[in-house]
Amino acid sequence: MEHIYAQLAEILELEQLTADVVLAECEYWDSLTVLSIIAMLGASYGVHLTATEVRGMTSAGDLVAAVQHRREQ
Amino acid sequence: MNFAFHGKRISGLLAIAPANESSFLDEMKNFDFPVNRSLKLKEVMGYDKHRLVQEGICVSDLAVYGMEYLFNRGVLDRDRIDALILVTQSPDHLMPPTSSIIQGRLNLQHDMFCVDINQGCAGFIVGLIEAFLLLEQPAIRQVVLVNADVLSRKTSPRDRNSYPLVGDAASITVVERSDDDCAIYANLKMDGTRREALMIPAGGMRMPATAATAVLQDVGDKNLRAKDHLCMDGSAVFNFVQVEVPPMIETLLAAAGVSMQSVDWFLFHQPNRFMLHKLADRMSIPYAKMPSNVVEQFGNSSGVTIPMVIASNLAARMLGEQFCACFAGFGVGLTWGSMLLSLGNMNFCELIDYPNESLQ
Repeated sequence: MEHIYAQLAEILELEQLTADVVLAECEYWDSLTVLSIIAMLGASYGVHLTATEVRGMTSAGDLVAAVQHRREQ
Repeated sequence: MNFAFHGKRISGLLAIAPANESSFLDEMKNFDFPVNRSLKLKEVMGYDKHRLVQEGICVSDLAVYGMEYLFNRGVLDRDRIDALILVTQSPDHLMPPTSSIIQGRLNLQHDMFCVDINQGCAGFIVGLIEAFLLLEQPAIRQVVLVNADVLSRKTSPRDRNSYPLVGDAASITVVERSDDDCAIYANLKMDGTRREALMIPAGGMRMPATAATAVLQDVGDKNLRAKDHLCMDGSAVFNFVQVEVPPMIETLLAAAGVSMQSVDWFLFHQPNRFMLHKLADRMSIPYAKMPSNVVEQFGNSSGVTIPMVIASNLAARMLGEQFCACFAGFGVGLTWGSMLLSLGNMNFCELIDYPNESLQ
């Protein structure tokens, strides 16, 4: 999981991403980004979130916590 | 709703794709998005090439070309067709039915049943169900199911939501009685409350096409389209597919008493590679059993995609082998349908090009 912030930053086209970044305030927070995140989480972590779930995340940290939680289940 | 049919089979299948090809890389300049974002879309969705009709080509042109090809090859007899079902959402005219146009252009017998069905991405399932129902009649021994659409003509080239994935194509599926009594199972569901997720707003009686409905507009997402154009709520459609399709397949297989593992091929409608991979993930189906390569080569041709996936991946094997196949189609209506059947040992299975008009 150590690369997850770098992977999310790449999708969002940011230099770097920290847990406190509010996703909706990112320039490229759109449906394509949501789908790209779903694809990346499925391929890299075997976690399958829905578009509605991803859209419902407030910060990058919330998203990472949700992925961690799913992996532990 | 569950269906079961006995003593029927698909005896032949022909897919027809326009030879005219367009590429996503060439079209990117028409979209009001940064190039790197469009390249990301290409990578995630699996967009690349798609086949589009040249100006003026209609559904009946593709269908007549394919039928004549089969007559000339001697694998279909024009005097033995008892019913012609055409499934399309882009008819030649509002009236007469395009199935009548095809019948007339081919000089088929008068003693037959022609019908148009307005269905989209579930149109192969709906068409097969209708074909099997007609075959219950003693007078009907052979049904020709034509799926055809030229929806590129109703899609805005400046709409990155829809244009990169749309493809034009036709297919001809011959359905007959069979001595093999092996059952065919189907499941179909509809939800008209979600009818606006995929629609062409103008051009019918509710909103006749006028100069105003042809004006391109940005509805706030940087995509330019007119009321005359196909409009898709991509997120709503994505959610619909992920929520409704897996339980439908479970219901279908349970009704048939067949396990997921004993299905050889999951031949699904082809909206884009991403959606198919997500469906496969959800149902724990290996990607190798669910081909997802139609959109990148031909585009999404609505109800024609299941015949396209068969003809472009399994044509040779459909002649001499028999498989346990699961079909699923899902889209406009909203409509979602699936079918489990024994598929193969066909008399013909082929993909041909509809030639480009010469520019003389």
